[in-house]
Amino acid sequence: MATFLSVQGYDPGPSQRPLTSGAISGALATIPAVAILIVFGALKVEAQILGLTPLLTLAIGCPVMALAGAIYARVFGRPANNTHGGWLFGMAYGFGLWAMGAVLVLPIVSGGRTPAGPAALGVAMSLLTWGLATGILVPFVHRPLHEGLEKASRHAHLGPSAAAGKNGPIKEQRQSDKH
Amino acid sequence: MIRVVSLRKAVLAGLAGAFAMHAFSLGVAAFGGPSAGIADTLRSSAFRNSPLLAYGAAALTDLSIGVCWAVFYAFFFWGRMRVRPPLQGLLFAIIPASLAILIVYPELALMRIPADTITISLRSFYAPLSAGLIASVAIAHAIFGLVMGAIYHRPVGYPCGSRPSLPAPRGRDRKPVYSERRPDGFMFATGIECSYPTIEQGRWRRDEMDSTRHYSMWQHDFLLAREIGITHIRYGPPLHLIFEGPGRYNWDYCEPQLEELRDAGPEPIIDLCHFGVPTWLGNFQNPDIADALAEYAGAFASRYPWVRFYTPVNEMYVCARMSALDGLWNEQLRDEGAYARAAWNLANASIAMSDAILKHRPDTIFINSESSEFYQPCCPDPHVQEAAAAANARRFLPLDLIYAHPLDPLMRDLLLQQGIDQSEIDRIAHREVPRRSVLGVDYYEWNERLIDRSGNPLALGELFGWYVIANQYWERYRRPMMHTETNKPDADGAPRWLWRQWHNVQLLRSSGVPLVGFTWYSLIDQVDWSIAMSEPLGIVYPVGMFDLNREARTVGLAYKQLIDLYRDQPDYRESPALKTLMA
Repeated sequence: MATFLSVQGYDPGPSQRPLTSGAISGALATIPAVAILIVFGALKVEAQILGLTPLLTLAIGCPVMALAGAIYARVFGRPANNTHGGWLFGMAYGFGLWAMGAVLVLPIVSGGRTPAGPAALGVAMSLLTWGLATGILVPFVHRPLHEGLEKASRHAHLGPSAAAGKNGPIKEQRQSDKH
Repeated sequence: MIRVVSLRKAVLAGLAGAFAMHAFSLGVAAFGGPSAGIADTLRSSAFRNSPLLAYGAAALTDLSIGVCWAVFYAFFFWGRMRVRPPLQGLLFAIIPASLAILIVYPELALMRIPADTITISLRSFYAPLSAGLIASVAIAHAIFGLVMGAIYHRPVGYPCGSRPSLPAPRGRDRKPVYSERRPDGFMFATGIECSYPTIEQGRWRRDEMDSTRHYSMWQHDFLLAREIGITHIRYGPPLHLIFEGPGRYNWDYCEPQLEELRDAGPEPIIDLCHFGVPTWLGNFQNPDIADALAEYAGAFASRYPWVRFYTPVNEMYVCARMSALDGLWNEQLRDEGAYARAAWNLANASIAMSDAILKHRPDTIFINSESSEFYQPCCPDPHVQEAAAAANARRFLPLDLIYAHPLDPLMRDLLLQQGIDQSEIDRIAHREVPRRSVLGVDYYEWNERLIDRSGNPLALGELFGWYVIANQYWERYRRPMMHTETNKPDADGAPRWLWRQWHNVQLLRSSGVPLVGFTWYSLIDQVDWSIAMSEPLGIVYPVGMFDLNREARTVGLAYKQLIDLYRDQPDYRESPALKTLMA
């Protein structure tokens, strides 16, 4: 999968802003995710396990999910911009977060305590929904954030000196620069 | 986008796989086997009072999960393994099966516990898993993989004889951007990749415009080209869809696009035959293609009299080699004689099409694009020298024919062996070549090849460069020239390649060769060109100025900077070479 993504160019290019679009999408996606947590009574249970109030759990959770969204958009790069497949990558990422966070990390940090019953179902549904929403939102949030072609094309590293690639100045040049 | 996926096929495959898996699980449960189905979980958690609703929701969940995995498979796994599709699906099923056993089923067991929280250890987490349950889950997933894999294949292209949807109708431009018209200006060009050869012995049609969604996004594509500053765009209306039979044309496949190009630009270089012919014409071994394609070219020129640039047949050498020597496209032969026959037919088609177009528009400019190949012998061994000489003679054959250049004796003998009359060869050799013919020289990093000791060609990379290779073509034909294709299948390294090619163009220009334009090919990423379109895998070939989501790649931005830097320079605002040609 990594080679597959890399052949497309990991670098999203100077016109794109994956971190910002991912963070905004991740934060927006918490709205349906929190709604599901509340419906299944999972928010209260999670707060109880973490020893926090539900409000504080939310206050900490939102920036964490924004950060998760930024990581998602950066890691998936160009594929995350795909309106056809974005939902799937988002859901896969949401599943990964659930498997890593709710199933593995949470029991470790809470001394083995984990949600059960409907609350456990709610946590799973909530993270899958968050992933789905983030995956759907990223391409749409990203579009208005793009740098225009006009400005993006003026970056110096895309200009005539790009012909030299990553080669620096030749040795003699560097020495004369020192003097 | 990382892969071209047929969502319709993936959804169908996922549904069928999930249905088979669900049926197996029901069967196991009916015989009292171990079951950890989602229905039990939902019945004990979300739908406590409604077993029927719980079952319905569980079935729906199973089907949805099946669809998700199938789409995931389509994006990341399909075509990665060299085994039959059902076996690919079976191997892929190891992933969902592992996740199900290690995470999902133990977690489902937790969801059935009538409590809000529970304290668990690793041992208690995996306690619900029995050997019977693990076996049941593994078999169920194997069934899913086999069924899904058997259904999902060939995500791009379509059976010969069927047709894709008509292009989207022309809408109002959201952002009116027009190409600046400079009739004599240097041509800063690109193209829409439009290859349409057949594979699988003529049963499956590749159609790059369909695979890259150009038929639905053509208006946006042209807008992007104009925003980059492109002045000319090589555009290949789909011959196999338009030319339905003698005297029958379905212009709906190109009408709106051509209207847009006429009104807003960029100026099109119409590419009439690009690696394929309509199904009813068979393949390039058919001697009738010259007359048939001449009829098509005449009809096209008559319908669109404002078009002044044409590429009658694109890359004749590549087309003949891939179809008749490498066995990949169309007739799929591997025979030197078949290559000569295909090259002869293609060259004749190009000549007849040019003549037909000139009847409607006498001032037409022909851009005869050809791949600039070069074969270097590795050593003085006579058989290596001979192999390199033969390969070099072969690459010039189609151009020698259309430009009435004396044929290499080796190629002339090969044509005679194919039953082609000396008188016919003489007729072509003595024809008057249209005055406004431009030799288009394409160049990629694999065009320079070394013939090794066993006579096999090895890719050399950029050893001599476009300047040296193009100069060979200039010395041979003495025609105005254009750099008609280049790209680099390395998204991050492409700007470097672009500027290096550009410096080659400038050097050739400054040495006195009349050069009318430069082309980065193509505007949008291509599909399956990493395997020469030999299989319908849907692999994205990231060489475009924009990816398939129509997001700019760095090379698109670099090309814009290049055009902005040069287009108003006196030698480029008015190209002396093009001016002379048009006079």
